[in-house]
Order: sequence, then structure tokens, then C-alpha cells
Amino acid sequence: MNKRKTTLIFTLILATVLLTSCSAGLSGSSWPGISTNGDTFYVANLAHVYAIRATDGSMIWRYPEKASRTMYFAAPVLVENQLIAGDYQKILHSLNPTTGTENWSFQANGPWIASPLVANDTIFAPNGDGSLYALDLNGNLKWKFTATRALWSQPVGNGDTVYQASMDKTIYAIEMATGALKWSKDLGGAVIYSPTLSADGMLYVATLARELIAVNTEDGEILWRRKFTESLWSQPAIHEDTLFFGDLSGKAYGVSRTDGADIWTQSLTEPVTGRPTVTEESVVFATENGNLVALSFTGERLWSKTIEGKLYNGPVQFDDKLLIGIALGDSPLKLVTTAGQDVWTFIPPK
Amino acid sequence: MNIWDSLIITPFINTLLFIYNLVGQNFGVAIILFTLVIRLVTHPLMVKQIKGAQAMQDLQKNEKWLKIQEKYKGDKEKLAQEQMALYKELGVSPFSSCLPTLIQLPIIFGLYQAVIYGMATTPIDLLNLIRHIYPALLKVETLIPLNNRFLWMDLSQPERLNIPGLEFGIPVLVAVVVLTTYIQGKLTQPANPNPKDQTAAMGSMMNLYMPLFMGYLAYTLASGLALYFVASNLVGIGQYAMLGKVNWANVFPFLKKKDEKAGKGKNKNR
Repeated sequence: MNKRKTTLIFTLILATVLLTSCSAGLSGSSWPGISTNGDTFYVANLAHVYAIRATDGSMIWRYPEKASRTMYFAAPVLVENQLIAGDYQKILHSLNPTTGTENWSFQANGPWIASPLVANDTIFAPNGDGSLYALDLNGNLKWKFTATRALWSQPVGNGDTVYQASMDKTIYAIEMATGALKWSKDLGGAVIYSPTLSADGMLYVATLARELIAVNTEDGEILWRRKFTESLWSQPAIHEDTLFFGDLSGKAYGVSRTDGADIWTQSLTEPVTGRPTVTEESVVFATENGNLVALSFTGERLWSKTIEGKLYNGPVQFDDKLLIGIALGDSPLKLVTTAGQDVWTFIPPK
Repeated sequence: MNIWDSLIITPFINTLLFIYNLVGQNFGVAIILFTLVIRLVTHPLMVKQIKGAQAMQDLQKNEKWLKIQEKYKGDKEKLAQEQMALYKELGVSPFSSCLPTLIQLPIIFGLYQAVIYGMATTPIDLLNLIRHIYPALLKVETLIPLNNRFLWMDLSQPERLNIPGLEFGIPVLVAVVVLTTYIQGKLTQPANPNPKDQTAAMGSMMNLYMPLFMGYLAYTLASGLALYFVASNLVGIGQYAMLGKVNWANVFPFLKKKDEKAGKGKNKNR
């Protein structure tokens, strides 16, 4: 091969690397999604789903064994003897939670960004193609309900109804058995994080229109809505009559469930993301810059801990410990006590 | 936000989304118009680049240039001195073609990145996009979610046209990218390149590899980018045509024969 040809090929390879690295940056677009059965943590992170021992953070298995082009964005969901995990290449996998082998798979038309909800022996899986797929536990399609835009948030359900918020700015109430629409409500802004369902049948949802909205599950009536000055990239958590969430300016809120009025606010100085975690004596907020901040239920700062990496969701509580999913850090997973002390760190094997 | 973000990416993203709003929230049309606008804004630079390149090509046929090359072929330092003196004498700058290209490069990369940001396909991508939006110019609540549908395509995904009865999708846009890249390369190549000219030989090789390279990118990346490649190629052809620098005979050989016949006819008449 002559020198000219070599130079040209080298230039093209360099250009490919440059252009694809500018565009295919999915590796920085995801955060670890976590679920647990008490003994094992199941974590979807980047190219794999991992099963990790709760006691010491060692890996039991991972799926697939070898990394492929696909990515996992949604936290896997455990149901009976299967683990349901959707990937970015449009495939929903059912895995054996003990061995990590695949039971069945189901293909949709878009990426799986949100976790499914499992209720009444049905998997309700929202997809980026705008459809909510209802599958039986063998992966057979029962029905699908299609919204006008992508579904990025996990549905919630009670009784015979599943509630699905959509990027099309609407929340839908759908009959679990048939997929028939019961009611829908225009929220005025797209929804990224899931709504939070209270025991008394209220839905609380944050939208990209910087609003927190309370919706009655009975008929979709909006009971109150509150506009904020900063963007909300958060899902409210409930403790008694208070909702906890944060905004991108770094403010943490405790607001009344009755009317959305402030009970307290606390400045965390960094963008607050995801759903805070309510423990026995505190509410733990995650900040995008990697800080966990525990506040008392009345808003006093109890402790804080800095994690290497970015946090886009609150930790998952497990006994008296907190499991933290970390994006763009040295490790994707860390277990700490509810007082913020390290227990173990999971480093995925190469 | 760093300087690159503040000076290039953010203004570009806002321009793209502003156009998107203007054209009734159609991201495909917005990408095409945005490419057109940016290429028009940088058109004077392109004119300078073409003129500079032409001057350099003409210089290589200049008798004085050829003499200098012959005379000082064993003395590189003296050759460089004489070349510089000739540049000065003829008023040609060796940087007149590469400097405008260098200025255009960050703009082209900015345009490319703005399109990628605009197609936000995951929550964190969307968060990054929202952070780049000027709230005084655009309202997130009306803008998001972006309408990524254009013709049969989801612009955030690689394009395939699914035809009933076929189990696989056909990458139509990939074919268009390959074709327009090839045509653009051929049209802008000199009509009768000197076979000894290294630049021309390199250009010929680029015309062969570049369409394949662009086709590979269009096949694997989001179709919004492929659409941008097509728009960019077509606008490029239009720009060259406006400047009279398009050699149609390179793509339509029958035009060459016609020209040759016309030339012979003229000679006979003489």
C-alpha cells in the first residue's frame, strides 16, 4: 500500500472515531437501575445486567457475558422466578434470577428506557415507541396501549388500573385487564420520572413545565398544581403528609400533600435529581454532582457524603443500608449505611 | 459550560430549535434549513477557499514555478525561499485556501454536534439539551418532546424503510448519502486532472472512499445525522454550481462528448 493510500485511510479512521465519539455517546447517558430480593442486588448498568451478592458486593453473574452494542437504561424488575430487563436495542429480556440465562424475549419498536411494572400476573412495559405493552409472564402480548410520544417513565398501578405518564405531556389511566383507556389528563409538560402514587389514591408528578401536579386517580381531576422557577428533574417521595423532591437549582423541598405549599426548603447548592429515599429517620437526596445529603423530615441537615461520579436517582434502601447507583464514576455501585459509612463498592470485572 | 459550548454549541442548538419552532416543530425540515443557513453564512469563506485553491492550482502551471522546481530540486531551503518570493510577486497566499477551511471546521463540527444534541434520545441527553436552551428565546415546555419524525424516519434512530412482506428494512437514506457524497466529489473534481498531480490523485481516492465512509456513518448513526449529510452535500453542490465550479461532465459523460464534438466542430469551421 502506498503512502498516499495509508494517509487517506488513517484520516478516514480518525474522522470515524471523531464523528462517532461525538454522536454515539450512550455510555454517558445512563445511570444504574437497581432492584433487590433481599439477598441479591440486580443492577442494569451500561452493557450488562448484574446479579450481585448483598453481603459482600461480589458478582454472581452478568448478562450478557460479553458486552455488545446494546445498553441497559431501565432498572430490572424482579417477579417470581424471573428478572425483566429492557435494553436500548428494543428487546425486553426475561432472565433467570439465579443463573442469568434468558427465559424469553420480546421485541418492541423502540428502546426500553423505563422499567416495567408487574401486577396481576402481567408485565406492563413502557417503550420508547410510545406504547405500553401488557405481556403475560411468558412474554406473550396481551394488549398494547399507544400514546402519541415516547414513554420514559415507569407506570404505577393500583387495583385494576395502571397509570402511565408520557413524554406527550399526558397521564393515562388504563384498565389493567383490557388496555382500555379510563381517562387521560393533559399535564402541560413532558414527564421523565415516574409519578408517585399515594396509598389514598393520589398521583404526584413533576413535569418539564417546572410544575408539580397532584392528580386524583379516580377521574384524573387535577387537585392542585404548583409552578416552580427552576426545572424539576425529580420524582416526589412521600412521608406521611409531606412530599420531598428537589430542583436543578439545588433546592430541596418538603411540601404539603394537600396543596403543594412549602413546609420547608433547604439549599443543597447542586442540582437535585431523581427520587429521594425515605428511611426511618431521614430523607436522602441525591445531587447530580455526586453528593448524598440526608435531611430530617423537617429539613435539617443530618449528614452528607460525596461519591465519585454523578447521581441521577436516590439510593435504594436495603435493611439499614443504602445502595447507590453511580453514573460516570469509578464504580457503578456502592453500599453505605444509613449514616453514610461505606460497606462495599462493586467494580465490574473486565 | 466551557468556551466551545458557550460560543458554538449553545448558539447553534438554539438556532436549530428556533428554526424547528418556526417550521411547525418538524425536526427534519429544521435540520435541512439549519444546514442551509449555516452554509450560507459561511459561503464567503468557501468562496475564498475555492479562489485560493484555484490560485494555487494555476500557480503550479506557471512557468516560473516550474522553473524554480527544476532549478532548486536539490536545495529545499532555497526552493522554499524562491517559492515565497514567487507567492509575493504573484500576490498568491499559500494559506488562502486552508485558512477559510480551518475557520469553517469548528462551525461544521458545531453544526454536527447541535444536531446530535437536538435528537436527545435518553433522559440524560435531554437534560443536557435543556441546559443549553436560552429560556428567553425558547420555552422548554412547548419545545419538549421534540418531534423526531420526518417522512418514514425516526430521526433519533438509524434509518430503515420497512416494506410489507420484507423481513428487513432498506437503508434508503444511506444510499442517498453515498450517492450525493459521490456526486458532490465528482462534480467538484477538475474536468481533466493532471495524472501527475498528487492533489488530484488524492482527490480521486477521496471520491472513492469518502462515499463509503459517509455511508457507513449513515448506516450506524441516527438518521437525523444522515439527513444532515444529504442536506450538506446538496447545499455544497448548489454552492459550487453558483460559483461555476461544477464539472457536470464528470458525472454525465455524454456532456463531455457533446463538448468535444462542439470543440471539433468549431475547429473544423476554422
